[in-house]
Amino acid sequence: MTSTSAAAPPDGDRRTAMQKMAVRLEPWLYSAPVLILIVAIMLVPLALGISYAFRDIRLLNPFSGAFVGLKHFRDLASDSAFRGALVNTLWWTFSSVILQFLFGLILALLLNQPFKGRALAQALCFLPWAVPSFLSGLDWAWMFNPVVGPIPHWLYALGIMSEPSNILSDPKTAMWGPIVANVWWGIPFFAITLLAALQAIPKDLYEAAEIDGAGPIERFRSITMPFLAPTIAISILLRTVWIANFADLIIVMTNGGPADRTQIVASYIFTQAFRRLDFGYASAIALVLLVLLLAYSMLIVALRQTMLSRH
Amino acid sequence: MASITIEAITKTFGTVPVLHDIDLSIGDGEFVVLVGPSGCGKSTLLRMIAGLEDITAGEIRIDGRRINEVAPKDRDIAMVFQSYALYPHMTVADNMSYSLRLRKTTKERIAEAVNSAAGKLGLDPLLARRPKALSGGQRQRVAMGRAIVRHPKAFLFDEPLSNLDARLREQMRAEIKRLHKAIGATSVYVTHDQIEAMTLADRIVAMHGGIIQQVGNPLDLYDRPANLFVAGFIGSPAMNFVEGHCRAGAIATVDGSTVAVPDGIHLAEGQAVTVGVRPEHVRIVAGPEAGSYAARVDLVEPTGFGTIVHVRLLGEDLKIYTLERGAAEVGQPLHIALDGARLHIFDRETTNRIG
Repeated sequence: MTSTSAAAPPDGDRRTAMQKMAVRLEPWLYSAPVLILIVAIMLVPLALGISYAFRDIRLLNPFSGAFVGLKHFRDLASDSAFRGALVNTLWWTFSSVILQFLFGLILALLLNQPFKGRALAQALCFLPWAVPSFLSGLDWAWMFNPVVGPIPHWLYALGIMSEPSNILSDPKTAMWGPIVANVWWGIPFFAITLLAALQAIPKDLYEAAEIDGAGPIERFRSITMPFLAPTIAISILLRTVWIANFADLIIVMTNGGPADRTQIVASYIFTQAFRRLDFGYASAIALVLLVLLLAYSMLIVALRQTMLSRH
Repeated sequence: MASITIEAITKTFGTVPVLHDIDLSIGDGEFVVLVGPSGCGKSTLLRMIAGLEDITAGEIRIDGRRINEVAPKDRDIAMVFQSYALYPHMTVADNMSYSLRLRKTTKERIAEAVNSAAGKLGLDPLLARRPKALSGGQRQRVAMGRAIVRHPKAFLFDEPLSNLDARLREQMRAEIKRLHKAIGATSVYVTHDQIEAMTLADRIVAMHGGIIQQVGNPLDLYDRPANLFVAGFIGSPAMNFVEGHCRAGAIATVDGSTVAVPDGIHLAEGQAVTVGVRPEHVRIVAGPEAGSYAARVDLVEPTGFGTIVHVRLLGEDLKIYTLERGAAEVGQPLHIALDGARLHIFDRETTNRIG
């Protein structure tokens, strides 16, 4: 900036058109590397992906590639597998998020109490987060397998199961497998965020409430929850979007089966794109998912704004 | 209204002793100030009365009832915190009525109590606001309002004015005193500020190192401090201390001067003593007179109302507080006399007052 302003004569504007152009382009020149990167690796692929949704792109058909308009979306509207996947996505996302949140909150409350060896306990509790998701998926799949895993035998011993069978192969219970694995894997995320928020609550508020006559439940309701609410809102939003898109565990554990009972939209996209190699149709589904998640995010952000402005 | 009795209270954190064998009884309606430097245990003692700290040994009674094991909410006390501890998501009115709502008080009674407290504290126009939208002084007032709506047996104040600026602190100090006169509730007030202690207290409890150093009304502590700690802590500018030994009926100081022993005090020959004299009891005299000293002015600190003059005398940096302006300039020679009737003599070994 300083070099150009020094080049400009102080009296009137006698610069040539070239010089004026250079001045105008200068900021763009400096930000060019980042802009080119963003355009090249984010915007172009996004535009391409969206354009696929309106084209017939099948890898195995050399004559595909034509523009088909809204055909994919018309197909989607009558695709019962997609509708099943939508329902499964809701089921998968909300049960995972709610259970992760509840257990994460309980864990955070426990870890917020002073006790001996707390640092070690904290480190251990956050360990699942460090396990690669496909590894934990494989481990859980094995644990649910009555041949090598203990869980079916425990459930049988407790009388919950009539015989030690694999819940992953039963269409009625299959979804619980990935959900359990996901809950185990995702608890630390909530525990860490909520613990940080808990530790930011001033201690004397609790003391004041104790003197005012509030018992433990009332203190939790009238101090802890209002303080945690903004954090809860934002972390649930993040996790919901994340989990709705998170197909790793399902692909590894059930691959959408049995009979599409664990197929969620994300895993359906994966199946369409990489198993059937129909990129056009997969892109159309992805676009629908994107719109749904955007709408959801905006809703939660608005909710959080109102909550924060009340503080 | 209630009396509070503290009997042989001891507190240790782990193995660290914080309070040693504290005995104190606070009368009905009395305003007692616990004062001392940070770490002297005053806040811990207050929090034990509130029930926020366990009692290691000893007994606390409110109105004769032992409360060691009673939960804070059942002690019928109210506390004002240094940070105010207002509930940020509640309005001023909700903050003040929280305890009443928890006690299932009727809506009419709550409204009446909140309005009367708000009236006393000038909070009426702020009732619908949240703490975020209040100034420091207003928050302080809400914290007090929250305490008084309940008509508790006793008020506990934990350094309530420390977060305010100097002018506001002065104003709130007067307001607290006025409020106490109006309500007449038993109050225990913790502060490290001796001016607050002096101005507010019916009785001051000076604490140091977990031990009560002296209990008495403010002017007693000022006029007859029981030991070196109290003498040095109470009063601003602080008392001058001069070290010396008793030699032939007078006190010989390290620079070779002598100070006459006040009447009615008997010192053993060779006894090590510390002589205390308040800056306001050191006089600048016109010329040499019996018992006066010659000195040179070291430093002059005008405070507006008076002036603090530092001189190098008796082996110490001696401060003189004078109301006369321009009484001294740096480097000027002066004649100084100590007010013999207002000398404080302390035993240097025990640090206790001899007379």
